Amino acid sequence: MRDLILLLLAGAAALSAKVSFNREIRPIMADTCFRCHGPDRGARMADLRLDLREEALRKTKSGVIPIVPGRPEESAIVDRVLATNARVMPPKFAHKDLSERQKALIRQWVAEGAEYEGHWAYTPIRRPETPPAASSLIRNPIDNFIQARLKLEDLSPSPEADRRTLLRRVTLDLTGLPPTAAETAAFLKNTAPDAYEATVDRLLASPRHAERQAQVWLDAIRYSDTCGFHGDNPLPAWPFRDWVLRAFRDNKPFDEFTREQLAGDLLPNATDAQRVASAFNRMNRTSAEGGLQPQEYLAKYAADRVRTTSNVWLGSTLGCAECHDHKFDPFTARDFYSMKAFFADIRETGLVPDRGPNAWGTQLALPTPDQKAQRERIVRDLEEVRAKLEAAAPSISAADLRKRFDAGELSWRQQMPLAARSTSGAKLTVLGAEPIDSMYEFRGSLVSERKAAPGLVAASGPAPDNDTYVVTLKPGAGEWTALGVEIIQDEKLPGVRMARGSDRVMLTEVEAGLSPNETAPERPLGFTLATAGNQFPISGLPAMAAIDSDPKTGWGTAIHGETRNLFLALRFGEKLTTTAASVLTVRLQHDAEPRRAVTGRFRLYLSNAVYAWPGTDSIGLRDPLELNSGLPPAVLSNLRGEGEDRKPLEAYLRFASLPLEPLVVEAARLESQLGLLDAAIPRVVVTESGPPAVTRILRRGDFLDEAGDIVDPAIPGFLGKVAEGRRATRLDLANWIVSRENPLTARVFVNRLWRQFFGTGLTKSLDDLGSQGEIPTHLELLDWLAASFMERWDVRQSIRTIVTSHAYRQSSLSKPDLDARDPGNRLLARQSRFRVDAESVRDLALAVSGLLEERFGGPSIRPPQPESYLAALNFPKRDYSASRGREQYRRGIYVHWQRSFLHPSLLAFDAPTREECTLNRVSSNTPLQALVLLNDPVFIEAARVFAQRILTEGGRTFPRQLQWAFQLALNREPTADELRILTGLQRASHRRFNARPAAAAELLKTGESVVPSNLRPADLAAMTTVARAVLNLHELITRN
Amino acid sequence: MFDRQQLDRQQARRSFLGRGLGLIALNSLLKGAGEDNRASKGVVNPLHHEPKAKRVIFLYQAGGPSHLETFDYKPKLAKMDGQTMPESFTKGQQIAQLQGKQLNCFGPRFGFKRYGKSGQEMTELFPHIGSIADEVCIVRSMSTEQINHDPAHTIMNTGSIIAGRPSMGSWVVYGLGAETEVLPGFVVLFSSGRGGQNQPIAARQWSAGILPSKYQGVKFNSVGDPVLYIQNPHGIDDALQKKSIDAVNALNRVQHKALADPEILTRIAQYEMAFKMQSSVPGLMDMSKEPANVLDDYGAKPGDGSFASNCLLARRLAERGVRFIQIYHRDWDHHAGISQNMPLKAEEVDRPTAALIRDLKQRGLLDSTLVVWGGEFGRTPMSQSGDGRDHHIKGFSYMLAGGGIKPGISYGATDELGYAAIENPVTVHGVHATMLHLLGVDHQRMTVKSQGLDVRLTGISGQVVRDILA
Repeated sequence: MRDLILLLLAGAAALSAKVSFNREIRPIMADTCFRCHGPDRGARMADLRLDLREEALRKTKSGVIPIVPGRPEESAIVDRVLATNARVMPPKFAHKDLSERQKALIRQWVAEGAEYEGHWAYTPIRRPETPPAASSLIRNPIDNFIQARLKLEDLSPSPEADRRTLLRRVTLDLTGLPPTAAETAAFLKNTAPDAYEATVDRLLASPRHAERQAQVWLDAIRYSDTCGFHGDNPLPAWPFRDWVLRAFRDNKPFDEFTREQLAGDLLPNATDAQRVASAFNRMNRTSAEGGLQPQEYLAKYAADRVRTTSNVWLGSTLGCAECHDHKFDPFTARDFYSMKAFFADIRETGLVPDRGPNAWGTQLALPTPDQKAQRERIVRDLEEVRAKLEAAAPSISAADLRKRFDAGELSWRQQMPLAARSTSGAKLTVLGAEPIDSMYEFRGSLVSERKAAPGLVAASGPAPDNDTYVVTLKPGAGEWTALGVEIIQDEKLPGVRMARGSDRVMLTEVEAGLSPNETAPERPLGFTLATAGNQFPISGLPAMAAIDSDPKTGWGTAIHGETRNLFLALRFGEKLTTTAASVLTVRLQHDAEPRRAVTGRFRLYLSNAVYAWPGTDSIGLRDPLELNSGLPPAVLSNLRGEGEDRKPLEAYLRFASLPLEPLVVEAARLESQLGLLDAAIPRVVVTESGPPAVTRILRRGDFLDEAGDIVDPAIPGFLGKVAEGRRATRLDLANWIVSRENPLTARVFVNRLWRQFFGTGLTKSLDDLGSQGEIPTHLELLDWLAASFMERWDVRQSIRTIVTSHAYRQSSLSKPDLDARDPGNRLLARQSRFRVDAESVRDLALAVSGLLEERFGGPSIRPPQPESYLAALNFPKRDYSASRGREQYRRGIYVHWQRSFLHPSLLAFDAPTREECTLNRVSSNTPLQALVLLNDPVFIEAARVFAQRILTEGGRTFPRQLQWAFQLALNREPTADELRILTGLQRASHRRFNARPAAAAELLKTGESVVPSNLRPADLAAMTTVARAVLNLHELITRN
Repeated sequence: MFDRQQLDRQQARRSFLGRGLGLIALNSLLKGAGEDNRASKGVVNPLHHEPKAKRVIFLYQAGGPSHLETFDYKPKLAKMDGQTMPESFTKGQQIAQLQGKQLNCFGPRFGFKRYGKSGQEMTELFPHIGSIADEVCIVRSMSTEQINHDPAHTIMNTGSIIAGRPSMGSWVVYGLGAETEVLPGFVVLFSSGRGGQNQPIAARQWSAGILPSKYQGVKFNSVGDPVLYIQNPHGIDDALQKKSIDAVNALNRVQHKALADPEILTRIAQYEMAFKMQSSVPGLMDMSKEPANVLDDYGAKPGDGSFASNCLLARRLAERGVRFIQIYHRDWDHHAGISQNMPLKAEEVDRPTAALIRDLKQRGLLDSTLVVWGGEFGRTPMSQSGDGRDHHIKGFSYMLAGGGIKPGISYGATDELGYAAIENPVTVHGVHATMLHLLGVDHQRMTVKSQGLDVRLTGISGQVVRDILA
């Protein structure tokens, strides 16, 4: 509709003026003719091609001439489009009927000589002449271009916006955050002629600006924290996000920025930072689904790279040529596969493991110098200790061990706890003879059963974030060397089938104490060694962490394919002697940072062996409780005389030798330190180059096809050639993308910048500058911006030029006649109004309330989100665990990007999932958005904290307080009407909360930030509803 | 050309003016007394042709139910049980987890029966669906392109394997609009069962993709809030919530007076609708007032989140004017243990599926409601891990009922071993084309421009399966 009006606007002139191929004819042909008479050879009908002039003038096989310049009556296309019978073109079945006006245009164009023009986007970029000034409202050449066009339409630009609006606009646009009340006051007072420019420079230099620009770029390059397909597990990516942040902070020239992402790994003497940048090539979705066909997925990954690269830098839909030649643009299927060949050197597998030692393919570790030194020291010490240990002779013999094993001495003795309690409100049940339901995986199938499991402790009821289980038991008279903790799997447990939440189970500390009887005081017991029987040990969750007195570290398992129960064996510092009356107390502490990484079901054991190995083979409740043999399977077979390799037995004998215990413990301690350190060192997926794989044209995109031509890397043929005489690389591609010869990149990029600051691009098709895309409303302006940008690839300078123009600074207020003539505001006789992006919706509430925690970069954070939101995920089953403390109040750009289930409040405000490259976020206005702003606890907490500030900092009277709040949130004073409305709400709320203090208490409990004790709950609750109303205003989330 | 903002403005006006349309008014609308049947509240207005169906209930069986143990009986396969699968069937075909493995025939694990007057053949595990055999149409000649779950779900839901394309429910609401002001037009439900390898289902499967996000499916949950953020904040009751929303809207009206920005009116309308959703959803979800015999028919226990409860909920949503209702059962991926698991899964879906179709019929809604039952693919005639079947894309079965589908017929066939659809093959796009056709939409004419393409649900193919139309 908007386009139609524009066309009519333009058309008023065109009916008399000469018809332009690019402006009028190409759009018609692209929409209605090229599908069958365009570049795609496979789809071409009647041997007739209209996208090239020489072809269109040639007589076809059937003897007609499509176009005879200057003679519409002899031209077949005119004849056919004007036909009223079945001969009409486009044919009826295409549902692409031409309007009378379109038919007239085609006729006139042929009559005028049928002159073709090269497609605007493919012609070299030249800086056009700046038109003469059309008014005095000119701040830089942008205004000359905009106003020249306005003058043509007999329109004029709007006056500059008021300073308050202007400051808010430019601050939101450049930083994604609102100006503070102080910044507003200062700007209003500053009468210097360059006050605005100085403000722009201040904003551009702030890290907040980098965060804002990075957010837009991350959409384009489909940055995400998870792999996307099937289990959608988290991958190490955030250092790459930080690289993007720093690039914008340092205003890295766009050519370098491009080169490093596409081919940072190929740069001579590539730095770590440049290698991190190459993670761009690894941001495609990947799958770890069993049974996938590698070639199929390798084809998917490569196609994703071609789509993304051609979309982001070339504004081209080359991805459409995967199965056939492009229907509308001169891209062939060969071009698609030649582009794909640039990426054929990337080492990768079709199935990209999401766990285990080969997880995520090539990664780069990024230790700090300190971590590096620490690591070297630990590795050296560990080697030393291991060497000593290997050289030492065990104090027990294999024969002795065999004897003890045969006597059953090594077996773990399951304990029947007397009682078990939680210190944080969970319910712990010690099972006796009554049966319990259980479900677990056994040999690839899920088994459900109901059976008795005496001694099993099961947690139920409330699931606190952290919990300590206190278990007492009477072992009876005996001597004991070790305590065993077995964590039992159950399918119903949301955290990797073992924890009550989270994506992991984590025992942070295990403590024990002994008392001679039930009433006597307890004597603490120490542990010297912790050993675990994980199938898939996780370096960051080592066994020794359960006895290292550090409440932050712990043992357990995370996102992994454990199909067996977990077992932790803890060696007592000294042998324990118990009588029949002795009571042993065991404390299982769960103090992990991730919430609810708390054991769901467990059993306890004691051993009197020298020394028992953790049980490794129990599955669910399947096995007899005493099956844990106390020996690793490999040692057992050694003992039976099986197995060539005797090393397991030798190692075990040393493990069991008391005199060697100091060495054994030291080795375990160092291994644990190394594991914890490695887990703390940031890692990121990067590109690793290898011998290029053969790239074939897959006919019809069929990955099974092995008969297509083999192609070498090449840019689309009609755009030129790179690296002749040798195989071109990704670096050649990157160099060409940012070369003067490429007409697309600069146009594409400045067009997207324009969209950021006006709501719509100069052409609104941000991802398609081809013939199906919209012709720019201001082609010369676009070229002027592109030419300027290419000079130094200075992103910040381009932004500065745009936001200091009058076009940007003008008021957004419309007039009815202007609305009627230019409803889409494409001619820019005024600024536009549009909603801020999803991240800013969140950031605004946090900033206004004062909750916002500003810190640049770092691992992704997890704001609270509704319970069970991830319930539809599996492999593994997992639960969400919100970040702790100030972390959860950081900006939206840092939110953990879960592709298959993006945080629901971001999703509601149109944040893309980043499964694919996104260049044009939609901006919708839905009831779900209202529900988020009204009811999401994050926004309620923001309202409550905002209210606290209003009451403590905003003055004494309600009108004063409201003025203060409005300045903070909207940078203006409330009107009398607004004051009246909010006074009404405040009074009604106050009455209600005075009458029902419990309701006030409930409301104020929302969120984890501290509620000050000096405020009356009813006052705070009432002001919270007022603050909430302000945070729900359309104006707050609208950039004007 | 498609213009998002323009469209939003139109829709906003519509929802703003259209408020106050109650359930009773809606019911009369649903019955369509004397109205122009081609009038539509969506973008396709008028509809391309007279519609048969007004809404869709898609009973989505994720994981890939075995056609060989449900709707497609293969005595020859039973005879060849344990023998090598003839290479003529499998040569050059895509294979998932059985890559490089010995391929042996695996006969059907359960018997089949003929049901009803139509004598339709189905597994003995489906006595209830069997009892309505004369109402349903079985398609035995389905095929798809994608052999792994995630992409196969994506093509079944969006017609494409590229993320970011609108899902079928979004297309339908986009084309036809919503019949309710107080509920989303497209609702997605997940069922919990005695779940084994529950399939992960990404939100992409009900995304609006390149369409405005108001067309996206809204997931209703059986645990926690039924709709995300639908509950008032703690300590705020309905009265105060109403007062707060009124205040927000009054403030927004003050702004509108100053700026005359139509987007503000849309915002106001959305807040009003949000409040209406808040008021209507709890009543919708509360099934405690359903008569005991209805609960029994479905086998539903209110609040258990089972497939049965969701089927009953689907009927309640249909009655309230929801356009597209999709229920996921997520536990059909039987690589192993198929003999043990099929009866369990049949227990979970057989009774409620039949009850839903019967219930719709009794209420006069079946004629206008298209019910579809099926998954993202089928399973191999070859065995896996002794008692299982691998993913299979060349042939599987779908069941359809109501909404203009010819009842009591079977359509299409796979070869004698149940490997490939050979008679009247139906593609995923064929199902989509047929669904849209029944709703009054020509699948070739409902398109949206994106990246230069006229994107449609059916990609560049798809044919209406005319032989199964009533």
